Amino acid sequence: MSPELVTSLIIAFVALFVVLNTAAIVVFAERRLAGFIQNRPGPNRVGPIGILQPLADVLKLLFNEDITPIYGRKALHTIAPIIPVITAIAAIAVIPFATGVVASDINVGVLYLLAVTSMGVYGVTLGGWASNSKYSLLGGLRSAAQMVSYELPMGIAVASCVLYAASLNMVEIVDSQEFWWNVFRNPIGFVIFIIAAFAEANRAPFDLVEAEQELVGGFHTEYSGMKFGTFFLAEYMHVVIGSMLIVTFFFGGYHLPFAGYWLPEMSETATIILDLIVFSVKTLFFVFLFIWVRWTLPRFKFNDLMNYSWSRLLPLGIINFVVIASAIMIYNNYFS
Amino acid sequence: MVEHIINSISHLYPEIAITLTLCVALIADLVLKKESHAIGWIVLGGLVITGVLVVAQTGRELSIFSDMLAVDPFAVFFKIMLLIASVLVVLFSMQSRELIDYVDRIGEYYMLILGMILGMFLMVGATNVLLMYLAFELTSICSYVLAGFTRRSLKSAEASMKYIVYGAVSSGIMLYGISLLVGITGAVSIYGINEALAAGVEQPLVLLVAGLMILVGLGFKIAIVPFHFWAPDVYEGAPITITAYLAVASKIAAFAMTVRFFKVAFLDNGVDIAGALPLVDAFNWSVILAVMAALAMIVGNLVALWQQNIKRLLAYSSIAHAGYILMGLVVLTDEGVSAIMIYVFIYLFMNMGAFYVAMLVSNKLGTEQIDDYKGLGRRAPLESVAMTVFLVALTGLPPTAGFIAKLFIFGAAINAGWLLLVLIAGIMTIVSLFYYMRVVRNMFLFEPQEEAGLLNFGLSSKIILMVMLVPTLIFGVYFTPVLEFARNSIQIFGL
Amino acid sequence: MVTYLFILFATLAIAAALAMVLNRSTVNSALFLVLNMLSIAGIYLLLKAQFLAVVQVLVYAGAIMVLFLFVIMLLNVEDEEAVLDKINFRYIISVILGVVVLSYLLYIAGSMADALPPVAEDMAQVGTVEAIGDELFSTYILPLEITAILLTAAVVGAIMMAQHKFK
Repeated sequence: MSPELVTSLIIAFVALFVVLNTAAIVVFAERRLAGFIQNRPGPNRVGPIGILQPLADVLKLLFNEDITPIYGRKALHTIAPIIPVITAIAAIAVIPFATGVVASDINVGVLYLLAVTSMGVYGVTLGGWASNSKYSLLGGLRSAAQMVSYELPMGIAVASCVLYAASLNMVEIVDSQEFWWNVFRNPIGFVIFIIAAFAEANRAPFDLVEAEQELVGGFHTEYSGMKFGTFFLAEYMHVVIGSMLIVTFFFGGYHLPFAGYWLPEMSETATIILDLIVFSVKTLFFVFLFIWVRWTLPRFKFNDLMNYSWSRLLPLGIINFVVIASAIMIYNNYFS
Repeated sequence: MVEHIINSISHLYPEIAITLTLCVALIADLVLKKESHAIGWIVLGGLVITGVLVVAQTGRELSIFSDMLAVDPFAVFFKIMLLIASVLVVLFSMQSRELIDYVDRIGEYYMLILGMILGMFLMVGATNVLLMYLAFELTSICSYVLAGFTRRSLKSAEASMKYIVYGAVSSGIMLYGISLLVGITGAVSIYGINEALAAGVEQPLVLLVAGLMILVGLGFKIAIVPFHFWAPDVYEGAPITITAYLAVASKIAAFAMTVRFFKVAFLDNGVDIAGALPLVDAFNWSVILAVMAALAMIVGNLVALWQQNIKRLLAYSSIAHAGYILMGLVVLTDEGVSAIMIYVFIYLFMNMGAFYVAMLVSNKLGTEQIDDYKGLGRRAPLESVAMTVFLVALTGLPPTAGFIAKLFIFGAAINAGWLLLVLIAGIMTIVSLFYYMRVVRNMFLFEPQEEAGLLNFGLSSKIILMVMLVPTLIFGVYFTPVLEFARNSIQIFGL
Repeated sequence: MVTYLFILFATLAIAAALAMVLNRSTVNSALFLVLNMLSIAGIYLLLKAQFLAVVQVLVYAGAIMVLFLFVIMLLNVEDEEAVLDKINFRYIISVILGVVVLSYLLYIAGSMADALPPVAEDMAQVGTVEAIGDELFSTYILPLEITAILLTAAVVGAIMMAQHKFK
């Protein structure tokens, strides 16, 4: 194997390891934070301050009976939870974590990312359908409609970031933000992107897919044991990866704010370590935001959700894109 | 490159004018009152401007947008044909009673018609298989929707559905054929394909399959046997204005595209040929085309004998006419092409005329059954006489223009040695006399029912009728201008 | 390696296409079509057409087929007569393993015949976003604009056909 391939594989596996563990920790953090926001203790019995709770959860799920509904589709029922995990893992491949630390530095990184995340919808939809239950089916249908609808504003928002970098390569997009983060240059795009990212992760206030008051458990009503656990894991992986994407596209990735203006040259190792720390801190902040929003905002109605995407976000995104494109063209032609 | 594109745009004015009209129609629909035919007049204005721009292109012979589109006399001729048909259809639409119920979406109706015109303009000029397919599809998609425009009638919905399914499959097959052709020749422009074929291809069988597949798509659009099954149902279900448009304009455009494609891509341009496609040794294309033409004439004319609905009858008759026109393609010499052009020119007026009378009758009587035409000769004398002239012309009898059309196309086929084909065509022409004359007999040889009075059609409709009636009669006697026009317009760019 | 991957993707594409046509359950058919599209995206990648591969996944597998599935589920299309309904997890695993083994066998056969011609060197440049964008906005500018009008017409038509209420 060529050295590049080995490096890629090492980075990919380390990143995978980190993301999976972060997801487990995020589960715990979510429950503790939910407790804090709702003025109750949250899980605090297993280990010091309840830190071993995720392990206990996994053990419990492993010993649950694995049930497939009697007229459900067994094969699809089994495959469905795996799909969102695969797409989440696949997305890690193009995210740059630090200068030079990226598993696969491909020319069409942004499109790859959109393509991979767009495949995630199959898991939820099929899970809902294969369960042979009306609640699950409703959840699955909702997720299909919701995810397809929010992919468009998301794509448009990302496209407006691509304009600044003039490239679809993720590393170049991050490096274009060395002086100015995109959130300062493209605030509307950021708002659109973060809303769409919440919707794509099926998180509150867009968690119509699960909506326990209406649909029991939504698409995973009929899931138990580790199959349910896999769905659960996928959700938190999507939270982590969504945060990474927000950071990458709008908060300068591994760059400190306005780093280009003031940050001195450093040795390669020091840069990488600093980058990793910066990237992690930012990511964790957005993970926290995901949790914070979930326990603060009420849920949308479904028709509002669709309206919001098609008749608010998408037109706004297109206008934003056109304005930024014209501004960049005028700037390049007349001021530089 | 930039200069080339800017220079190309200056030869694209007609298409741009249509696109602008399309946008204006769509926006005017939101602003203007619908009942006043205002959008119709706007569209007519746009078409007239387009006409001026097209005429201004006369005499140019060049290729624009990196060999995408040809602007040559051949294209200009067909663009003028298409514009005449479009103006007539817009005039029809403003009078149609069928469309009044759907007046709140008339803006979309005109917008789609303009989309069709744009598609057909590009079909006529396209010299690149990619653009050919796009133009083909633009025309098709607009016509699918238009065929189902009167949605509350079940027939119309059925027509649209059948049209979409049939059209989607055949254009899919055509696209596959195109991709195979591009695969074996490595070129997307038809000049490039011609060069590659002239140099010889390694896989003649694939070439044959690709050609047949492309023929499926083209045959669908022309409605030639055996790809005609959609035509009668669609023609019957669609609003009559659209039926007329499909039977005339989209057929003409498809013929233009077919002629350009076969003549430029498959013919050996260096050699003077008579009636063969010598470049492709793998298979004898002329024979395939000749068989299709013969089948179209036989099936179209024989099945038409049993039709009770005037739209269905005209549908089968248009299948038969496609067969006659295809004879010109079988020949594919300059003589054959000019015969096609003469035929198309005359077919435009006589077929549009027949549909127009059918629409007027349907407006007043609310019927499309041939039996209900009984006694019409007394109740609407001018219209009945006009219908008779159109039907006689469609049969191909002198002194109408239809005779001239058939004369030239038969002549071209005989000169090229296709005697059997001409024999079939002749016999089928006689067969066609029976069903055309059945309509005439119903109109004149029956007394109208007692309570039925004189029908009053208004001055504007009489004027429109004259627009089609006069050429049908005049060109039957004084046909030199048509002949000159067609002969001056056979120049295809690149040949 | 490339030859092996090609044979794997090609076999998978054909197998998925066959399964799509032969399957009696509409949902399964749709899913096999997704698999087919993914394998074709893989073949594009082997031809170094990155942009095409990614767009194939993004547009066809990610958007169009989701809507397909959505409609199938919403209409609750009944299965055709259940013959192949006995498909279970083991069956699918065995089919996939079968495809892998078959493609390996084909690979051995192919490597003896030396079947695959090499991909042209400059394909990596042709397949990039930049190259495709350059071509689209210079040589193919007219088809691009016509596509825009085609889509407008299609959208207007679709809305007209789908609209239920009109005066």
